[in-house]
Amino acid sequence: MGWRRVAASEATRVVVLGGGTAGWMTAAALAKLLGPLVRVELVESEDIGIVGVGEATLPHIRGFVERLGIDEAAFMQATHATYKLGIDFRDFGRIGEAYVHPFGSFGEEVAGVPFHHYWLELRRQGMAGPIGDYSLAVRAALANKFQTPLQDGSLASSYGYAYQFDATLFGPFMRDFAIGLGVTRTEGRVTSVERDGESGDVRALLLEDGRRIEGDLFVDCSGFRSLLLGSELDEPWEDWSHWLPCDRAAAMPCSHVTHEIEPYTRAVAMPAGWRWRIPLQHRIGNGYVFSSSFVSEDEAVEAIRGAAEGEILAEPRLLRFRAGRRRNSWSHNVVAVGLASGFLEPLESTSIYLAQVAVTYLLELFPAGGRIEARDRAEFNRLVDMEYDRIRDFLILHYHATERDDSPFWNHVRTMAVPDSLAAKMELWRDTGRVEKYSDGLFYNASWLAVYVGQGVLPRRHDARASLPDPLQVIRALQTLEGAIGDAVAAMPGHRAYLESRAERLAVAP
Amino acid sequence: MSDARPLPQRVVIAGDGQLGALTAVALKRALPSSEIVVIGGSFDPAALADTAASALPFTNRLHDSLGIDEDVLVRRCGASHRLAVRYLGWGGVEHEGVAAYGGAGDPALRTAFARDWGSGMRHASSERPAGSVSEALARAGRFARPSGEAGEPLAEVDYCLRWNGAAYRDLLVEYAHGLGVAYHRGRIVGGAPDGAGGLAAIAVEGVGQVTADLFLDCSGPQGLLSQLPDYRRVDWSDQLPVRGLIYARRGDPALSLADTILLTSSGWLAEGAGRDGRSRMLAAPEAATDADIRAALHAEPVSALALHPGRAERAWIGNVVALGDAAATFEPLGWLNLDLAHRQLALLLELLPGDTPDPRERDEFNRRAALMADRARDFVAAHYAAPAARGVFGTLARSPELALALDQFERRGRLPFFEETPMLAQEWAVMLDALGIPAGTSPLRQAADPRATAAAAEAMAHKCEAAVRAAPPYGEWMTRMLQAQ
Repeated sequence: MGWRRVAASEATRVVVLGGGTAGWMTAAALAKLLGPLVRVELVESEDIGIVGVGEATLPHIRGFVERLGIDEAAFMQATHATYKLGIDFRDFGRIGEAYVHPFGSFGEEVAGVPFHHYWLELRRQGMAGPIGDYSLAVRAALANKFQTPLQDGSLASSYGYAYQFDATLFGPFMRDFAIGLGVTRTEGRVTSVERDGESGDVRALLLEDGRRIEGDLFVDCSGFRSLLLGSELDEPWEDWSHWLPCDRAAAMPCSHVTHEIEPYTRAVAMPAGWRWRIPLQHRIGNGYVFSSSFVSEDEAVEAIRGAAEGEILAEPRLLRFRAGRRRNSWSHNVVAVGLASGFLEPLESTSIYLAQVAVTYLLELFPAGGRIEARDRAEFNRLVDMEYDRIRDFLILHYHATERDDSPFWNHVRTMAVPDSLAAKMELWRDTGRVEKYSDGLFYNASWLAVYVGQGVLPRRHDARASLPDPLQVIRALQTLEGAIGDAVAAMPGHRAYLESRAERLAVAP
Repeated sequence: MSDARPLPQRVVIAGDGQLGALTAVALKRALPSSEIVVIGGSFDPAALADTAASALPFTNRLHDSLGIDEDVLVRRCGASHRLAVRYLGWGGVEHEGVAAYGGAGDPALRTAFARDWGSGMRHASSERPAGSVSEALARAGRFARPSGEAGEPLAEVDYCLRWNGAAYRDLLVEYAHGLGVAYHRGRIVGGAPDGAGGLAAIAVEGVGQVTADLFLDCSGPQGLLSQLPDYRRVDWSDQLPVRGLIYARRGDPALSLADTILLTSSGWLAEGAGRDGRSRMLAAPEAATDADIRAALHAEPVSALALHPGRAERAWIGNVVALGDAAATFEPLGWLNLDLAHRQLALLLELLPGDTPDPRERDEFNRRAALMADRARDFVAAHYAAPAARGVFGTLARSPELALALDQFERRGRLPFFEETPMLAQEWAVMLDALGIPAGTSPLRQAADPRATAAAAEAMAHKCEAAVRAAPPYGEWMTRMLQAQ
């Protein structure tokens, strides 16, 4: 029912421009899941480097890997991947303070009232530990423990996980996978674009060597250059740099200094931005994301050099970007996926996620037969915009929710006006201890809670019902939970031991 | 440092129908040390959430959380189970479709795509399932409740309850009384403003002034909220065509796992089974004549009421929160009225205020309650997109969300996710399918390997067979259930 064999001539010709992470993810997903409906050709040039963003990922990547039928072990081995339970944020709210934003929850609701209201009530009485004490993901991360969660509704299922991997290896892994599915790879540099005089649609890409690559649908994965959507179609850019002023990153790998591998990414606030620290199997990725209005490139490079713990494995590489997005990610017959559609800094590891959801929505709204309906394009843009806007607000919160006044950068972000949508969320939280609810997009209750509490934004008042139970009973319940988490963490293997026990996931030492 | 807000000292609930009574039970359980007072005695037959003798699956979960045992409802309130709705005539003459409850079914059949990518319920594709376990049971007339064990044949069964309204209300009143809820009988004749948009007190005939921190309006469309100066109404009459509900006398008791909604030339006719008798109700547009109504109803009408669909622009104003028909009024197509009321109650419990409502909390409630009401309206309005409905009800306006959903469904077999939608995407899909609105084929399905699709269909058929084998005929199950005590 519903299935028909599609003649090769009917297949939609998809041309993917750019062979980075987004390009090969797109090509692989289209070829795998739309098989007979598409002919996918990817054009890339070896002369053009890739950004290779997103060493750290979100749990959604697992769905992508599974859906494409990729073997997790092979994927982890190829990309030198480690497991990730969350992000350890340091010095954001105040210098010297830290918290983990986990892929997991904090406690459990009681009598319909979320856990954190009881926690706030006990905290008022000086009887509660840090909120992270009541999260298995946080405690396991900080203890450098890992094992995959269960799915039985128990404490052992109260968390998720993602990967930390070498993004420069992920693209090639996806490339091999995509080529295995029949994707054509064309080496060449695009010199011009042929458009339909009437509709303005892109008809073909013209390469340096004279070849002409025709297509029905073009997926722009050309990275920051946004060759088709930005340069060719001139889709307007919505600039968000007044809220997210970081516009550079200096990235540099170093060796491990400890035997154990942290199952989490670290984000450390810096005088003019923040730096990441992402432990992979054989090395640690480091990078300083900074605002060039507040620190020079040279100073930033020196800063990241100074922050490296192990032996420096490569010279710092400088990336330039702007926060914002194209007003529409799909215009005419061009869909941008990844950096060609917009950029949000990697503070919450959202880069690969944004590419993934764009591919997901493209698959759902794919113009089978090649005819693009304006309604489907509008729907795609509605969905992508919503994802961007929600992530944007969450990222801005990390900067704005601070007491830091030790540098011009932090003074700027602390005092800047934030989007109305974020201001309303923060006011609701401050006044009532409630998190604005949505089910679509990224980052739900526990994420907002982690950042609010972790960065010292506490509500003035919480739910009246938190004062109802006997405080001694609540204290005992929290102690029981804390103890159960402690036992569960103690029983978990160390992260490296867990990886080594599943040796097929380990890369051969370089 | 964060402080717990002071608890409300007194909460007054206007309305003692089944909604007011359940609200009283819920509030007293949430706020055991507060005084919960019900003001009853002015029953409004236009309060459809109060007259509804049926809820939807959400209510089962609300009941569970409030300690209301389904067995007691079966034993004392004549409760019976509905697994599906049978739609007759919506897709054209003789057209029949069955829409079962629940989001289950084989994921491979639905290519529940986005969900497989790790993003929850959203954008679950809605390809027509080859069936669900609930549908198979409804067709076979067999039933048993899932035991809660994973992997059992009935694990995917979802259902809703119908009951005798008076008996259900009496049971809730008894519970409320047992919990210590106070009760006053008397008409509400006035309110004293509190200077903040809400009420300081209400005047109750024969009782006097009753003050409260919070007033919950469960008294129907003409209730407390509608008397406030800031009350505004959003009119839905361009999207929902029914203007009159006409009820027939109850028939003989009937047990059935499915109820029927039949499209006639004079409106739609809902026929519900019930252990206390079969119910029949005609929902007619303005144009219907008495003769049309009699012909469609196949009986002498015993009561009728006029309907003006719409919702309160803000269901929570000052310290007055409207639930049920006081917040939103619409035709009871698909039994959503009580379901929506219970969702509003659950939302209130989630955002329960302290002694003084916080404006931001109120805004958040109003934002979500409005989305809930609008999506419930869209679910009802979607019925009028059925091929044969246009001839009866004419062409109606559609919200942008409904227009988008129908367009995506018809062209692509896809249902976009909308926040606070009261039904699951799968429930939307089977409802549209049962109405004769064909689903388009998504590219993912076109591209799927037919062998995998066939294998999934076979697995589903086995699952349905196993469920049918595991469940006795419904009458037998009910007899055993009633004898067991």
